[in-house]
Amino acid sequence: MAFPAPFQNYALGDAYDEMFAAPAAPREQFQALYDRLQELPLAELRRRKHTADQAFLNQGITFTLSGRDEGMERIIPHDLLPRIITGAEWAVIETGLTQRIQALNEFLRDIYTDGHILNDKVVPRDIIFSCKHFRREMRGVQVPKDIYVTVVGTDLIRTPAGEFVVLEDNLRVPSGVSYMLTSRQVMKRAFPELFQTCDVRPIDHYGQALLATLREQAPDNRSDPTVVLLSPGVYNSAYFEHSYLARQMGVQLVEGRDLVVHDNIVHMRTTGGLRRVDVIYRRIDDDFIDPLSFRPDSILGVPGLFNAYRTGNVTLANAIGSGVADDKALYAYVPQIIRYYTGRDPILNQVETFLCSKPKQLQHVMENIGSLVVKAVGESGGYGMLIGPHSSKAEREDFLARIQAEPRNYIAQPTISISTAPCFIGGSGVEPRHVDLRPYILHGEKTTIVPGGLTRVALRKGSLVVNSSQGGGSKDTWVLN
Amino acid sequence: MDMLSRVADSLYWMSRYLERAEHIARVLEVYLSEQLEEYTGDDNNRWRTVVESIGLQAPDDLVEEDVGHWMAFDLSNQSSIVACIMSARDNARQVREQISSEMWEHLNRLFHRVRAASTTEDWSADQHEFLTEVKEGAHLFQGITDSTMNHGEGWHFIQLGRFMERAVSVSELIKVHFREHIPADDEEHHEGGDLLKSCTAFEAYCKVYTADFKPLRISEFLLLNREFPHSICFAIDQVEVSLKALPQSADRRVGDRALRLVGKLKAMLSFSQIDEIMAIGLPVFLAEIDRQCNQIHIALHQIYIEYPVETAIQF
Amino acid sequence: MFFSIRHVTRFQYSAPVSESNMEVRMRPRSDGNQRCIRFDLQVNPRSKPNSYKDHNANTVHYFDVPAQHAKLTLVASSVTEVDEPEVLPAALPMSAWDEVDEVNEGAEHWEMQNPSLFAKPTPLLLALAKELNVDRREDPLTILRQLNGDLFKAIEYSQKATRVDSPIDDAIRSRKGVCQDYSHVMIALVRNLGIPCRYVSGYLYPKTKLEERSALGATHAWLEAYLHNHGWIGFDPTNNELCGVRHIRTAVGTDYADVPPTRGVFKGRASSQLSVAVRIHPTDSPTDEEDDFISVAAATNDIQEVEIPTWDALQQQQQQQ
Repeated sequence: MAFPAPFQNYALGDAYDEMFAAPAAPREQFQALYDRLQELPLAELRRRKHTADQAFLNQGITFTLSGRDEGMERIIPHDLLPRIITGAEWAVIETGLTQRIQALNEFLRDIYTDGHILNDKVVPRDIIFSCKHFRREMRGVQVPKDIYVTVVGTDLIRTPAGEFVVLEDNLRVPSGVSYMLTSRQVMKRAFPELFQTCDVRPIDHYGQALLATLREQAPDNRSDPTVVLLSPGVYNSAYFEHSYLARQMGVQLVEGRDLVVHDNIVHMRTTGGLRRVDVIYRRIDDDFIDPLSFRPDSILGVPGLFNAYRTGNVTLANAIGSGVADDKALYAYVPQIIRYYTGRDPILNQVETFLCSKPKQLQHVMENIGSLVVKAVGESGGYGMLIGPHSSKAEREDFLARIQAEPRNYIAQPTISISTAPCFIGGSGVEPRHVDLRPYILHGEKTTIVPGGLTRVALRKGSLVVNSSQGGGSKDTWVLN
Repeated sequence: MDMLSRVADSLYWMSRYLERAEHIARVLEVYLSEQLEEYTGDDNNRWRTVVESIGLQAPDDLVEEDVGHWMAFDLSNQSSIVACIMSARDNARQVREQISSEMWEHLNRLFHRVRAASTTEDWSADQHEFLTEVKEGAHLFQGITDSTMNHGEGWHFIQLGRFMERAVSVSELIKVHFREHIPADDEEHHEGGDLLKSCTAFEAYCKVYTADFKPLRISEFLLLNREFPHSICFAIDQVEVSLKALPQSADRRVGDRALRLVGKLKAMLSFSQIDEIMAIGLPVFLAEIDRQCNQIHIALHQIYIEYPVETAIQF
Repeated sequence: MFFSIRHVTRFQYSAPVSESNMEVRMRPRSDGNQRCIRFDLQVNPRSKPNSYKDHNANTVHYFDVPAQHAKLTLVASSVTEVDEPEVLPAALPMSAWDEVDEVNEGAEHWEMQNPSLFAKPTPLLLALAKELNVDRREDPLTILRQLNGDLFKAIEYSQKATRVDSPIDDAIRSRKGVCQDYSHVMIALVRNLGIPCRYVSGYLYPKTKLEERSALGATHAWLEAYLHNHGWIGFDPTNNELCGVRHIRTAVGTDYADVPPTRGVFKGRASSQLSVAVRIHPTDSPTDEEDDFISVAAATNDIQEVEIPTWDALQQQQQQQ
């Protein structure tokens, strides 16, 4: 059976397609969208697309370019069509991520305090100690309510078999949640009728949930805690998100220079005098947070902040040193970590990973580099990555040399054809593009995941790289009741 | 919610810089049109006076032909129009989420326009248009600010920046003007028209005094008129209004200082008669205004922005 | 044996500064063969220091001075009891290397067996290792003893050759340096053999006033190597000695970067000048009054000129001699 317009160019490949099980046979959750798209004239789709783009621009949902066009702002490319997930699929994701994050939090507590998992040799010490984001200074520091990770963004992909698996955890300062929230606002206006028929679960309460999670981690005896969001400032590419989230929560957006520590108490400078700060949702990396304790050349940080933190007078979310748990080499051990702390198998599987620091696995990588994806452990955003099947001989040789020079710095994974979802392309029709999914997990005394997340899409045809720095865009994610 | 000191500081400076840009645009426009008419043709140093009247020192290698460009575009001149608008925008950018998006967009657009203009080789053809654009841009920004932003604490810091800058720059302008043109009481004073124009005061003055340009009256108008928005008296009144609207400082000793200083200056302006001022000497009076404005500025900074941490920590 | 120590540190700023935040590692450790009985830190302008134990179990005092100041003075006074360390055998069997490798495998002392900021294997260091025959030809203890003496001979003691933040290559190239350089070089060489090795900051009570290198009126530095069954063994290559009762340890770490006696930042555009005076007084009982201190000497060093970006932070460090 052939695809009707506007799907005339829809080609199904090896990848799992989110919308179609077979040509012109949409999965149940997409039926309403499928019908609607056939009713709407192309011109109307284009009009809605234009209105949506305009809404992003007007709301200032932009990222700042550096370099030649300094100060110019662009909108993140946004696709008009929602990605739809069933309630049953979501239930698995939700329980799986909850299990995973709770285990990773327990892992962080363990390695910074008792070290049982190291003594039991489940995770080798050298993997931890050689990790760039391991903070020796955190050893023995009492973290409020033992919560190390408050905000997590975990990247999921869907395999050709249709299974959601974990590709990467982001436990330091995951970004993108503002795109999830604003794109929902825009989509409600672009497809109001569809939105209602589909019974989409809401996500608008994210700001309140984040604030509640942050407040419950305040130091004891602070009955009405003051929460602030600490940003590196306007020149940071995620500044829009910082300011957006501060507004959503109704808290101050501060920079390091607004804060001052005296006698282990953190204050912010206001026109009415100094105000005590209890919880800091920080969007600054560990290295830069306190020039006294970490990088002395940091001009973004607050001298003495770590002392106030160690004393328990202020909460930092996420905790310092949480990045060790999203190291790409440590990732290979996460299934064992989950089993160690929960006594159960992981609910969500993950991608097989080869550590170049282990001689046997390195051997495998060297021999099969043409079919693997190689990643530098310290990089993110799609940088420092080689996609074997799409690479040239020179690129592969370059990577082999780099791997041999610094094996600890590289891991490899099989190339997975990640799932595709329908996108409105070039104003002329609907075509499949590769997507991933980043749900945002709030972890406190309980774990909250707003249903959905950021679906990132590789807008270039055939591309598997969804990062916005590499030509990726985003689309709204609907979880159905 | 309390306002961060840094935010208040940025709003204050954003506003001061924009006011300064507008002021310079006005002074420069008057000078350029005066050049066209060439009735000051005998005064070879006129341009130096103009530079001084906006509180600047002309660099040694500056020549008459370039003075317009230097005042408008030269980025090595921190008080050129473009540099001021750039600084205003930089400050606005630091507090983008505190101002309305209309304000930001307008200021950003103004910045991009003047920057584009500054890169054109020969600006003399469009100079009038450029200066008009700057003036209108600044006026529009004020209007947008007043109608799109909450008239809360932030807005009052914007007011403070605007009127502090205005008081200081008008005072400087009068000072240099009457240094060059020693005022004799009854003589007709043609140059006074230019001084008034530099403060957008020409029409307003004529409505009060007719087109009868007497140094005494001009001085009275620019110094003491309570209704004209570019008079020093008006500016200080506005400073007092905004200062009273700000939250009280935690430290009462310094908290009252700014208000006390403004009150003193306001009293001096309210109760002075122009003949008394002339009796003391205009330069002495202007120097006093300047000194007191500077004290107010410092007090504002010490109370709200850079207060010493050790005095603020009191539990 | 008891030692009363008075350690005075003065910072003089070229212009007034404010919001000083400082960390101090001066309290002698209570482990191994020593116990700190009393410790007191006075700060002027007055500030109340807080303290914590860092990840290497060093006691760190910290404080902040918010008000403007042009001078900052720290006076640390302590009384510490030190016993003679364990007597070591003349040599170990060659099988001790197996134990070294076993320790390595477990990664118990991972940080102390891997390269660190100042102690890392550069090409010059590897060349020096060859030159001094640093290899496993003898048992670990014998090799360490030999290396301690060989470095003492290879590097000339000189206070002018290096700075507080000099990389080891400077000392290796010029064959000159101070205790900090001797220690960093030896640590890198020892780790290269697979033996965990750590930097020690502390005080050395001199045997006689003239003969011994370093320690006069200043802090001293040496190193400790870890051998199974013996624990951490102190070596002082600056003086070609095994550490004894006269070595008083205040802090240990991977290298100097972990254990500077003072480290701080302040607000203000200024350079700082640092002067240090240390007086050590041995007694038989822990009750001596402070007045008994005899000045041994005073050392002044290192004017740091630093151009600072917007936030005007300045590192304040002191080279260990």
